[in-house]
Amino acid sequence: MIVLHVRTGQAAGHLDEHARSVWFGKLDARAKILGIFAFVIAAALLTDPVLVMCALACALVTALLSRLPPRHLAKAYLAALPFLAFASFSVFLFAGFERGISMLARTSACVIALLVLATGTDTFELFSGLRRLRVPGILTTLLMLTHRYLLLLSEELDRMRTARRARGFSGGRSLLDVQAFRVLSNTAGMLLVRSSGRADRIFEALKMRGFSKDMRPWRETRIAALDAAFMLALVAIAASLLLLQMEVFP
Amino acid sequence: MRVLETTKLSFAYDDGTTALRDLTMTLDDGEKVAILGPNGAGKSTLLHLLSGFRMPFDGTVAVCGRKLEQQSADDIRRDLGLLFQDPDDQLFMPTVEEDVAFGPRTLKLDDIEGRVLRGLRSTGIEHLAKRRPHRLSHGMKKRAAIAGILAMDPRVLLLDEPTSGLDPKSRSELVRLLKSMDRTMLIATHDLEAAAEIVDRAIVLNVGVVKEGTIRDIVTDSKVMEEVGLELPAISRLFKELDSMGYPVEALPVSMDQAVAELTKVIDRVGRQARSRGVTKTAGQKKKT
Ligand SMILES: Nc1ncnc2c1ncn2[C@@H]1O[C@H](COP(=O)(O)OP(=O)(O)O)[C@@H](O)[C@H]1O
Ligand SMILES: [Mg+2]
Repeated sequence: MIVLHVRTGQAAGHLDEHARSVWFGKLDARAKILGIFAFVIAAALLTDPVLVMCALACALVTALLSRLPPRHLAKAYLAALPFLAFASFSVFLFAGFERGISMLARTSACVIALLVLATGTDTFELFSGLRRLRVPGILTTLLMLTHRYLLLLSEELDRMRTARRARGFSGGRSLLDVQAFRVLSNTAGMLLVRSSGRADRIFEALKMRGFSKDMRPWRETRIAALDAAFMLALVAIAASLLLLQMEVFP
Repeated sequence: MRVLETTKLSFAYDDGTTALRDLTMTLDDGEKVAILGPNGAGKSTLLHLLSGFRMPFDGTVAVCGRKLEQQSADDIRRDLGLLFQDPDDQLFMPTVEEDVAFGPRTLKLDDIEGRVLRGLRSTGIEHLAKRRPHRLSHGMKKRAAIAGILAMDPRVLLLDEPTSGLDPKSRSELVRLLKSMDRTMLIATHDLEAAAEIVDRAIVLNVGVVKEGTIRDIVTDSKVMEEVGLELPAISRLFKELDSMGYPVEALPVSMDQAVAELTKVIDRVGRQARSRGVTKTAGQKKKT
């Protein structure tokens, strides 16, 4: 999930600004987390192919309604697609075409819902939301730090790639290119060294500002009617999908 | 009051590099002092050591009357605001205002909103409050990092190469900002020109102390300048040139203010000479160019 956030965040720089300007971005993070997770859990439990399709449709509708940039969501989804396709393909091999398709639909529904949550929620809101849902402070802090370090790694990698290019390196496309391999493994080594030095400094900078272990949200927000409505709607969808699956309704 | 004092301070890294040797220095309340030295002179090491991040060391360090030790380090850090050489090390939160609020919040200080506002205002970046720190220009990142420090209201600012990597315009803006700030600060830099504008006193460092005095003392000591490879400020070079062209300079100016004062004197003198020779203006104007 964090990796997802970092990757989507890297892909479109202005994204968090955007996330905050659409209605979905303004919802209370706790409501979003609870609602989306209820939906994801329900979707993961579905087996009836028709209901799975319904769940996928719901996820798509949520994505549309969220007003998040569709191109961006599509890009992030495509990045995840190979993994989904691989999983579905193995199901397809062992259990037949229909099961394979329904697996793809199910995982897609979950991923799309999570993508909407990840791209439509400000980074810090996401973590402080988790914190306020009583996730232990040490855990959210770890998540937050992990997030920062991942950002850092990808920034560092970017810079080194540029530096390499600037000096005329263009290999790395063929696995047989030994020279390219050497350069790349050097890069990996340098990346570790450079990031560990940097990681030390970041930690020093944190200590300089009195950081010990907990992170609190700055502005205490309340769950408003809209937040509650959004959460309840998603929970209701999740519940009815599950109830339909259990054939409570004839 | 003495806010910083080191005696016979020495420090070596694990790999055996001696970064500081027998450094004795002081910093008084309200003073602005520069640590001048080339790359690898130990400037960053000194600032990080003062902040309690380089232990153990030889000699003693006292900050605001307290001895720096492992146990006192956390307390001592509250009196210090360290600006890292690379602002990317320092900026952490998703937005500028949250980043500025980070310190006051973790330290549970009062009036967080007010602190953030004052920090942003005094660095002139109020309009960037909602922006992502990592996407700002280098100069603006530095300002955001400084705002984050100011919001904690430390007794002493430790600034590591504040002007490095800035384009001329943002550099001179930052110099003006630091000059106008009424705070105790220790500035590590190899930018003699910027230091000359900001500080009263400077210490030339090259692992050990090479020389201490006003910037003018240092600039006129060509042996020291040669030894540590510092470059004369452009304005000083200009006046040296003038001097050799036959316009005597009483005291070599190292900052714009001093240059203006010196120039006024030169023009006065030349004007007087010219008048006595019956020629006016043209000669005086020539001097200016
Ligand atoms: N983490 C480290 N480990 C080992 N040596 C270091 C480390 N950091 C700095 N040094 C060495 O210590 C000396 C002083 O470095 P530094 O304080 O960064 O100088 P400056 O900031 O004046 O450029 C240099 O010789 C540098 O190579
Ligand atoms: Mg340095």
